[in-house]
Amino acid sequence: MLDKFKMYQPWITLLARLGLGGVLLVAGGLKIGNLQKSAMSVRAYELLPVGLANFLGYVLPWIEIGMGLLLIVGVWVSILGLLGALTMFAFVVAIAQAWARGLSIDCGCFGGGGQVDPEDTKYLSSILRDIGFMLLGVYLYYFPKGKLGMEK
Amino acid sequence: MGSSNSGDKGTRNLVIGMISFIVVVGVVFSLISNRSTSTAAIPATVSEADGYGIVLNPEKTPVIDVYLDYQCGACKYFEIINGGYLNEVIAQKKAKVVFHPMTFLGPESVLAANAAACAADENEFVDMNLALYQNQADQHNTGKWSKEYLTQLGKSIGITSSSFESCVSDGKYVRWTSNVAAESAKADVNSTPTIFINGKELNRDNGEYGNLGKFRAALAAGGVN
Repeated sequence: MLDKFKMYQPWITLLARLGLGGVLLVAGGLKIGNLQKSAMSVRAYELLPVGLANFLGYVLPWIEIGMGLLLIVGVWVSILGLLGALTMFAFVVAIAQAWARGLSIDCGCFGGGGQVDPEDTKYLSSILRDIGFMLLGVYLYYFPKGKLGMEK
Repeated sequence: MGSSNSGDKGTRNLVIGMISFIVVVGVVFSLISNRSTSTAAIPATVSEADGYGIVLNPEKTPVIDVYLDYQCGACKYFEIINGGYLNEVIAQKKAKVVFHPMTFLGPESVLAANAAACAADENEFVDMNLALYQNQADQHNTGKWSKEYLTQLGKSIGITSSSFESCVSDGKYVRWTSNVAAESAKADVNSTPTIFINGKELNRDNGEYGNLGKFRAALAAGGVN
């Protein structure tokens, strides 16, 4: 069992890198075309002071793109796995508090975002998805060495 | 072994450098392009103090701020229900009304906001505002609202001056729309339409956006009489 894991671990790491890195790259890429909307979706969480929410809305997509690219090419995998997991955890907390407070917003995870009709909210599926990606990040933190990575 | 390792390291550092460069340039560009710029051309009725909005009846009180996006379906709905009364308030100078045409729904929102600002310079803002909603496409950025279309739309409501035509076709106030967007972001406007009366937002849950009676009552409570 342990031997089998040792054999497959580098491949799992590769898949985890491509999964977490890919989703970060896509999520960031879909937002940079409309940063007004990106800032608006962060404000709609009603969690941060307006100035900080706007700053995050303009900056976060580029951070996501950077983290995604670095994970895909496979450098700083351990620390980026940890950062990625923390980022996903923050998203989970933000979405959960919006749900708990009864806000009607789209998570804005892949562009879009802002207020939506109450029946159009997708809190649970967004939270489960982000927990999945958080676990990929945790895995990468513990097993950063994988196939086709630039880090030796 | 040593030489190939250092080659790998060089490639690795080059890749890290390139990715970092993309991120830094992106961040700087995003922060700069989403700030208000004092160099943008602004319509005569616009002032920085009013969040770069288009001001009607500047001397009056109370103040009604209208945040909108010309491609927003809910804004059209608001216009159908409450626009007539709001235009009456403007015509009878019962309040200072400030329109903030936001542009988060895409490029045709920018062209429409520019055309509305051009109409404001011709003292035809209210009619253009209505005409835009009346000719809103069912979906966003369909290609319907081109500069030519918006010029014709202005002509159809009697704005025939060459200054309007060149204003629309040159996109004279396109950069101004970024200022409106930046100030609307600072004002924490997260959806459209959003209406403030003397800084107090209408109650969305209470139907003050979608019911003329409640809208009139809310305005009256804010001092419109």
